[in-house]
Amino acid sequence: MSFISNYIYYIGSFSLIFIGLYILITRNNLIKMIIGLNILDTGVNLFLISLGYIKMGTAPIFSKPNLNPQNMVDPVPQALVLTAIVIGVAILALALSFAIRLYHHYETLDMRKIKEQRW
Amino acid sequence: MLEPILLIAVPLGFSFSIPLFGTLSKKIEKFIPTIATLFNLVFSLYLLPKVIEKPITSSLGGFFPSFSINLFAGPLGLIFAILIALVGFVVSIYALGYIKEGATQKYHILYLILLTGATGVVLTADIFNLFVFYEILCISSYALVAYIGNKAGIESASKYLIQGSIGSSFMLIAIGLIYGQFGTLNMASIAKNINTVSSIQLFVPIILFITGMGVEAAIFPLNAWLPDAHSSAPSTVSAVLSGIAIKVGIYGIARIIFSIFGASNLLFLLVIVAIATILVGEFSAFSQKNIKRMLAYSSTGQIGLILFAFGIGTSYGITAGLFQFINHALSKSLLFLSTGYMIYRTGSMEITSMEGIGKKMPISSLAFTIGAFSLIGLPPFIGFPSKFLIIRAALAKEGILSIVLIMIALLGTIIEGAYFYRVVQVIYFKGSNTSSERNEAPLTALIPIFILIILILGIGIYSKSVINILNSASAELLNRVEYIKGVLG
Repeated sequence: MSFISNYIYYIGSFSLIFIGLYILITRNNLIKMIIGLNILDTGVNLFLISLGYIKMGTAPIFSKPNLNPQNMVDPVPQALVLTAIVIGVAILALALSFAIRLYHHYETLDMRKIKEQRW
Repeated sequence: MLEPILLIAVPLGFSFSIPLFGTLSKKIEKFIPTIATLFNLVFSLYLLPKVIEKPITSSLGGFFPSFSINLFAGPLGLIFAILIALVGFVVSIYALGYIKEGATQKYHILYLILLTGATGVVLTADIFNLFVFYEILCISSYALVAYIGNKAGIESASKYLIQGSIGSSFMLIAIGLIYGQFGTLNMASIAKNINTVSSIQLFVPIILFITGMGVEAAIFPLNAWLPDAHSSAPSTVSAVLSGIAIKVGIYGIARIIFSIFGASNLLFLLVIVAIATILVGEFSAFSQKNIKRMLAYSSTGQIGLILFAFGIGTSYGITAGLFQFINHALSKSLLFLSTGYMIYRTGSMEITSMEGIGKKMPISSLAFTIGAFSLIGLPPFIGFPSKFLIIRAALAKEGILSIVLIMIALLGTIIEGAYFYRVVQVIYFKGSNTSSERNEAPLTALIPIFILIILILGIGIYSKSVINILNSASAELLNRVEYIKGVLG
């Protein structure tokens, strides 16, 4: 059981990544695909955060002299995740606006029926 | 002190000030991209001789390298910056007359942001910064593909968005894995500490990275979005996407494989993928009836050729690949720009509707012919030295295998010749009895076409000096010790 409790964040994040990929591969509705994309994004963000996480860690601020540097979490992944979340939101908003326009044109969101472009 | 950061900051600043200029006068806003790209072009040309002597490194935020975000302007990055600024400048002149309908202000903003993202990718020396600029490039190109807002545009933009975001998520996982192993995001310090980690642990991040970049570069199994997106976007956007955006993906792959990981044992995989990309691209282009779709598939084939040259792995090969970069950027933008008004005038993208257009639009037709001949590799144009260099590089590498591979790659060129000659034949020799009053493209379209023709002819004839510059760029890519020293100081 110690394996699971030690690596629970990695297991969780990669489960989310694979769930997202599974949704993207198997679903044909554009809204569901966007949801899958978002789950994938969340999994990646969780993975990045868990890289720098320490149990019972503190913020890396050197204002109090009695804090132990060993217990400080790595701030770099948190900065990365902050950026990645913003990018994810931008993609989500753009994707949803595309979905609205696509529905206006085709009256459906099923990607199997939207086949104007082909090889 | 003139810093390379200006190459990123100036277009970004101009792009977001377009609405401000728009409140002053509606007429000014369309000239802003031209001004910004002209500045970038002049400034990067001014930096080039300095950088060939000694690369410029600048650390942002006042920290010293490996803690700060670095920009590294070496010969390679600067050549790409020049190419991006040049194509951006030329296409922005074309857009002055071509972009008239819809949200023109937003078009110009997104166009400059796209160029900012592309310039950022090629100048950065930080792996996460690379991701951020790459996303800037990708998101603005999704939006630009959908800019017209018609059925085809929205559909291909949503497909492009889904595939592109999966690719960039893979890249982010790779960045996480690399950070977990090295504890740094600086490309040079990763390259320095590469021997501390076993190569099996590096394999997964490299493959994820190549997959992520490969979506934008449209290498074979990941190229499904490209023909849709390139053919349904407006011609100016197709020119920029084909001329710049896919090359940035290839730049990323080359930087990862050569500079950071020095993974020369992956090169054979790269060559196999490249050959597959060439064959798929050229054969699909051959069977197209839609002219923009044909050009888009031809881009896939050309990307395969560039990747093939990089996969040879010698300095000859990389110089040849970079020369092919320049060839493709100039010729393919010329092709897309010259077809832009042909499609506008005839109202159709079918190749058969181009009959007799050689008499109606003689200059555009001549430009199309020059671009096509240059891409095939006929002598006075830039395509000839580039294909010649690729063949020489492949033959310089000993072994029967490389000869077989270059033969397959040249098969692609034959197919390419077949479909381009077919279009040229339709333009000039068919349907001559239709009404033939001249209806040429406007001056704003002819100026960029002339600039590109002069460059294609000029570099094709005087290729020696360009090859010298490219040699220093390929030395930067292959010499990892110099790169590490250059960034970390």
